[in-house]
Amino acid sequence: MNRRIATALTGGTALLTALTACGESGSSSAGGGESTPAGGGDTIAAELVLGGPPEFQTRPDGVPGLEEVYGVSFGEFRSLDAGGPLTINALANGQIDAADVFTTDPNIAANDWVVLEDPENLFAAQNVVPLISTEEATDGVGAVLNAVSAELTTEDLISLNEQVIIDRQDPAAVAGQWLAEQGLDATGTQAAGADLTIGSANFPENITLANIYAQALQAQGATVQTQLNIGSREVYMPGLQDGSIDLIPEYTGVLLEYFDEEATAVSSEDVYAALPEALPENLTVLEQSEAEDKDAIVVTRETAEEYGLTSIADLAEQP
Amino acid sequence: MSSAAGSAPWDLFGYFADHRAEVLDLLWAHTWLSVLPVVIGLLVALPIGWLARRYRWAYPPVVSVSGLLYTIPSLALFVVMPTLLGTQILDPLNVVAALTLYTVALLVRVVADGLAAVPEDAVQAATAMGFTRLQRLRTVELPLAVPVIAAGLRVAMVANVSLVAIAATIGIPQLGQLFITGFQLSVTGPYYPPIVLGIVLSVALALLLDRSIVLGARLITPWQRVSAAR
Repeated sequence: MNRRIATALTGGTALLTALTACGESGSSSAGGGESTPAGGGDTIAAELVLGGPPEFQTRPDGVPGLEEVYGVSFGEFRSLDAGGPLTINALANGQIDAADVFTTDPNIAANDWVVLEDPENLFAAQNVVPLISTEEATDGVGAVLNAVSAELTTEDLISLNEQVIIDRQDPAAVAGQWLAEQGLDATGTQAAGADLTIGSANFPENITLANIYAQALQAQGATVQTQLNIGSREVYMPGLQDGSIDLIPEYTGVLLEYFDEEATAVSSEDVYAALPEALPENLTVLEQSEAEDKDAIVVTRETAEEYGLTSIADLAEQP
Repeated sequence: MSSAAGSAPWDLFGYFADHRAEVLDLLWAHTWLSVLPVVIGLLVALPIGWLARRYRWAYPPVVSVSGLLYTIPSLALFVVMPTLLGTQILDPLNVVAALTLYTVALLVRVVADGLAAVPEDAVQAATAMGFTRLQRLRTVELPLAVPVIAAGLRVAMVANVSLVAIAATIGIPQLGQLFITGFQLSVTGPYYPPIVLGIVLSVALALLLDRSIVLGARLITPWQRVSAAR
């Protein structure tokens, strides 16, 4: 995971310049697919370059899953980031042809990209769920966060992301506005006495969600500290388990996979039902929301039209 | 609050205005995370450097081993610290400990060389006046070595200010968070304000701390000013 951490770190203009620079050298090897280490024969995928987070290369629903479930094996895989600026920019400027991007990413609509269907459910359900240390999961805290989960929809996620990522509004302000729109900003004493540190992963959607949790709990009388933008799951999960943070917005599918590599559940209900069993005793999930942000294989409109792609399965066909 | 400032580099002022409390918190955290390791590192390096000077055979191994510490990648060091120290993964102590190691790595050699640069006749005069070894070290050798040690401290201080930023990747808030935020929002085009603000504040902090060391060193070596004035 250090590579992901390192990519996130390099930030700024230097990186963007480097990105453009390596596109020049990268595109030559990307074109013909002769640099293919594990060529997939004469399929469409073999002519294409896939980009995604480093761990996508090995995780069960990543490159191995694509091969196993769909017989899809890309010409090349490039380690970038988890649906972040590297991946989005690389897809936008053609350095990669397909990318592992999250479905609530506002860049998909902004660029008119095509999300390939996943008829075999390679990607498990990823509903937003509050993951909380068991001792902090009092009824009051649960009630406040469950009320948030009950209102949160996938469309909300996309709109929140658009405001934060595209319009670059402050996540805390965006969170407050959403709570007000949902009528969840009423002050009360439901969570009085609770004292929590809320963390977040290092991507905008998670930061906004953590702000929503924080403000909802504060409004109901809880004492709340935040430690946002912590890092990847490998950094914040130990922090949650050792008590450095008490609460973080999570996603059901990846959470299950993190604690149970063998997990096979794919539907929202099954994944959620499998979670209590898989989680260590000191961690608890509250009610999940219908809002979902899952992995998807995304291609540009031009690539989709050139090869006639609508589903991941189409990638296994002859060009 | 939500008045999203523009994305040109000079919009850093607007960004700062929108995030004043948050940025000041980051700046303060960055400051103590940079300074504390230098202070502890100096206290650790002084006896080690003195030993390396006192026992000539110890100089090569001590200086090369401490120098080697500096080649450990900082990210790796941050990541293994909780295991080594038994600290929690999000504990700022991990950063302090890692940066202290780097400071020691830089300063051991500086202290040993600084003590070696003390004029031999000054040392002999002190011995002839009946100073014990400790008295001589405290009142003659260390003060005379201050300019050399201060030069090394300045390097360590400025290096720490830039190294601290890397701790943003392990969830420790400081100015490095601004680079990550800027990068995260650089999807539809570069988003300069937080990045430039982070650079400006880091540079300003480094300059300020560097100046403080120079001033501090000048204050405790008044004879230098006298000889310079003559």
